[in-house]
Amino acid sequence: MNRHVLVLGAVVSSAALVLAGCGGAASSGGGAGDPYRVLVTGGLSAQGVLATNSKTSVISAQASADEINKTGGIAGRRIEVTVVDDGGDPTTAVTKLREAIAKRKPDLYLNSGPSVIASATLPILQQNKILSFNIGPTNESADPGKFPLNFDLSPSPTDYAKGFIAHAKEKGYQKIGILYGSTSYGASFVREMHQALTAAGLQVVGEQQFDAKALDMTPQLQNLRGSSPDAIAMTAYGAPVGYVLKSLAKIGWTVPVLGDTAVSATSLVSTPPPDGVLGTDQVANLMMEVFDSTVYDPADTSVNTAVAAMKAKAEGGVIPSTLINAYNYDALALVAAAAADVGKADDPSAIAKAIEKPEVLARAKTAILHDYHYSATSHSPNATADAFVFIKPSRLDSGQFRP
Amino acid sequence: MTLIFGGLALGAVYAFVAIGYNIVFISSKTFNFAQAQLIMIGSFVAYTGLVTLHLPAPVVALLALAVVFTVAAIEERVAIRPLKDPHAVLVTTLGASVLLDGAAQLIWGTQPLPVPFFGGDGVLTILGGRAYPVELALVAVAVLLVLLLTWASKRFVLGLALLAMSEDREAAMLRGVNVRRLVFGSFACAGALAGVLGLFVGPETYAVATLGTALALKGFVVLAIGGFGSIPGTLVGGLIVGLVEALASRYLGGEFATIAVFAVFITILMARPAGLFVRTRERAV
Repeated sequence: MNRHVLVLGAVVSSAALVLAGCGGAASSGGGAGDPYRVLVTGGLSAQGVLATNSKTSVISAQASADEINKTGGIAGRRIEVTVVDDGGDPTTAVTKLREAIAKRKPDLYLNSGPSVIASATLPILQQNKILSFNIGPTNESADPGKFPLNFDLSPSPTDYAKGFIAHAKEKGYQKIGILYGSTSYGASFVREMHQALTAAGLQVVGEQQFDAKALDMTPQLQNLRGSSPDAIAMTAYGAPVGYVLKSLAKIGWTVPVLGDTAVSATSLVSTPPPDGVLGTDQVANLMMEVFDSTVYDPADTSVNTAVAAMKAKAEGGVIPSTLINAYNYDALALVAAAAADVGKADDPSAIAKAIEKPEVLARAKTAILHDYHYSATSHSPNATADAFVFIKPSRLDSGQFRP
Repeated sequence: MTLIFGGLALGAVYAFVAIGYNIVFISSKTFNFAQAQLIMIGSFVAYTGLVTLHLPAPVVALLALAVVFTVAAIEERVAIRPLKDPHAVLVTTLGASVLLDGAAQLIWGTQPLPVPFFGGDGVLTILGGRAYPVELALVAVAVLLVLLLTWASKRFVLGLALLAMSEDREAAMLRGVNVRRLVFGSFACAGALAGVLGLFVGPETYAVATLGTALALKGFVVLAIGGFGSIPGTLVGGLIVGLVEALASRYLGGEFATIAVFAVFITILMARPAGLFVRTRERAV
């Protein structure tokens, strides 16, 4: 009997050791002499615009690492960036993340979107207590109660609405029509925009949806015209932007159109003819919301440093898309400031708590968004209206518009 | 009238896709899922010819015809001919459509590219409505094309042979019709036609890699409304779909546009299961 108990005990102990070995993540080390390991994933091999955006996202992390390493790294640890291609596919992202954790747990994880990647990877990051920054927010990703070690980098639709309100008030627009696509972002845009505009004392006089595959927006615009708005707030990306502009010209309606950041990311409006419509009558009444860092300013040293560092990392020296995808540059700056506050970089919980401090956020040398407003109750950047500007469509150079 | 012009123009674009579907269907009883992508390639070639290479429109038409003819011919040889089970064609042509989408993105990128229309880009005021010249041209070309194809199918031996194949493939073979060659020819000719039509579709929709996907399903609905095998049916079906979409967007809201199209589609199929222009025939079994 005793022998059986001993054998059973040995088997159970062995099994526990094996399971612990399989299930537990490899240690990240984290000693003062170890590099600060950053894992960046992105859909580099994905099709189309996702790949372009991911490339910008990846080089922004690499450029930021170079800049911070020049000044001693994160709490004295040199940043080491590992780039993994997830193809923009959540299944691949999960597999690659698990592989990386099993091999050697990263200190920081940066994803390059889209939101489905965040949804898939956040539980794994939480389980392994890995600090993370996220470009594609989900409904829960900014909730510290659910994911205390994750921070969203992209402003929320509510934040974007603040920019619209400021511009509408400046121009004296009282009645706003909203035009949006039949996507989840479109639904979120119209909901948040309606709520924010109404709360700000502006009147939403019409809301029109278009199918993401629609080829003509004339009926929607005729409907909006019937409600006599002073301006139209619009979210659209790619060909639908062109269809809206063509339809406006067709019906001869010269209402001001306020496009969101998706509109500004559509190259059609920032490219002169014959490849685009920049400078034509079609864009005469279009204004686009962009980050202030996305507009070239020779006096903005922090952004210009970031752009130079990114160009040094980019293939052929060309930043593939607008700086709106370069948030990862700020992620490392935020971690560096937090680690300086904590005095070490190997405690992700302490780093996360430090990132919630206003004085740490004020010290962080971010460039893409100059100010982040994380708190103990919200890990969304909570950008203020001055983070955004409205500009006329203009030429894009090195990720920045030059009006 | 602005709304009507827009709806009719869109309907004409859908009809072009359905005409391509029909040409292939009549000859081979198969459905080429990639037909809308062939029109998309045609619009990209039109962009390259007119904007990048600065070629005159007739030369670009010939270039688009040749390029898309070749693409369609390759598709027939690679995705259709090796198959023994005709049902597998649905899968392989779907695969071809995905490949063409990917190829277009790799070659021309993902952003919309404006295709100039040789008839001008200024807005015209006609019958109290406003329309671009290309919208009027789309409707005119659709009507002419349908009349031409209907006339040709009854007038020439080739058209009669195709109709014979559509009625009874084995009987046509016994009467000396080279079925394999005609299937190949109709496939490639549907491609050539799609290439030329790209010169008209591109100025309306932009040359964009998502165009094929946007057109494919509506083209199928047009085909089913008009009736599989009926060329006049594609015109009527296309105009119905275009108008329903435009009117539903205007009077019900954009979110109801596609729902309205499918409601009309289901209603028509319930009344006439074979489509508006094809009669169901009883067979003794």
